[in-house]
Amino acid sequence: MWGFYFNELIRSLPFFLKGVWMTVAVAGLSLIFGTIIGFIAGIIRAGRNKPARIIIGAWVDLIRGTPFLVQIFVIFFILPGIGIELDAFPAAVIALTNLTASFITEIVAGGILAVPKGQREAATASGLSHYQQLRFIVLPQAIRSILPPLVGQYVLLVKDSSVVSAIGVVDITRVGWLTVQRIPEGLMVFGLVGLLYFAICYPLINLSGFLERRMTVVSTKL
Amino acid sequence: MISFKNVNKWYGELHVLNSIDLEVEKGEVIVVCGPSGSGKSTLIRCINRLEPIQKGELIVDGMKVHDKKTNMTKIRAEIGFIFQSFNLYPHMTALGNVTIAPMKVRNIPKKEAEKLGREKLTRVGLEDRIDHYPAQLSGGQQQRVAIARGLSMQPKIMLFDEPTSALDPEMIHEVLDVMRDLAKEGMTMMAVTHEMGFAREVASRVVFMDEGQIIEVAPPNDFFTKPQSERGKAFLKSILTH
Repeated sequence: MWGFYFNELIRSLPFFLKGVWMTVAVAGLSLIFGTIIGFIAGIIRAGRNKPARIIIGAWVDLIRGTPFLVQIFVIFFILPGIGIELDAFPAAVIALTNLTASFITEIVAGGILAVPKGQREAATASGLSHYQQLRFIVLPQAIRSILPPLVGQYVLLVKDSSVVSAIGVVDITRVGWLTVQRIPEGLMVFGLVGLLYFAICYPLINLSGFLERRMTVVSTKL
Repeated sequence: MISFKNVNKWYGELHVLNSIDLEVEKGEVIVVCGPSGSGKSTLIRCINRLEPIQKGELIVDGMKVHDKKTNMTKIRAEIGFIFQSFNLYPHMTALGNVTIAPMKVRNIPKKEAEKLGREKLTRVGLEDRIDHYPAQLSGGQQQRVAIARGLSMQPKIMLFDEPTSALDPEMIHEVLDVMRDLAKEGMTMMAVTHEMGFAREVASRVVFMDEGQIIEVAPPNDFFTKPQSERGKAFLKSILTH
């Protein structure tokens, strides 16, 4: 029997690959948008505008303090109640972008604030503008402490993206659910699901480790 | 060149600068000394508004530093500032440190800025360290790069905030030598320092501060041989006998 289901599963591989593609699309788009928004919000959060800092801080706390499943339900099922109707795919990308951006905001703000105050003072004293200080002095130093956890966050993003299956996006996890109804070998089916996630995440995990080692080497050299 | 008129500053309750009046002429070398916490670092940090003042007038090279509307970029470009902890940019070479402000603030083309930078680094005796990163340099060398960085903006004024306090004793002289040369070339300078040999040799006047006030201003020989205030006497005794 097991052999029969295994052959069935092999036949379902194209379906799984579609799921992989969907996971990569949702996670990839959220990665791009989340990184952009996270950097902008992180820079503001580490800046001097107090009201903006407080608003961003409250948003970060709210997103970090609520389950992602609830956030995605709010966007997909509750927003239509006030006239904002979204398809599952854009709803998934928006929810995941929002989640990722909030975490990246904290990583970026933390990296910026970790740059010693004297660096900014020296740049101020030599007449560099705020933008120039950020661009040439602060960010190049902050990026060393930002990059490793940033890539680590991307790993979490890929895994968290499995939650979007709950609103009907046919990603790897959803494909698993659908397949297990035909092939009632849960261990086998979800073993494959796990393997596919791992195949996406493993290179990222290695990249994060590589960056961590490299950044440590660079900062001790400097 | 630098004019303090009844300048006051508070940190909360603490009155860090109390009714400061001081005129510094072009080409003068002013050494500021006093016990720790006397406000001497704050005094020079106000000149390029690293610290804002709360009351009084502070005019530098004809520009009102006390006025919040004043565009500080222009004034700061004319003032070199040397920190106790060097504050070199660790991700840039010595030459990178020295050329960034001329390129970005004065819009000097890269080639020209590098020529200028080499010139300034040579001047502080570091022509063979141009491509080194700060972490590859000794403390004394780092501070000399910092001085070259200040000079690369062709400033009218150089400010020094305890430039030798973070240095090992054997490296102090190499920094003081550079400062001495600058003073002799007519640079307007204010230096917070306890290097009394330097003060005696090149200072036009010594400013003695305590508890946020200027207690005495006198030519170095007068201050060191016959301080007028009791606090000045006590301070000299404490630093000369240590």
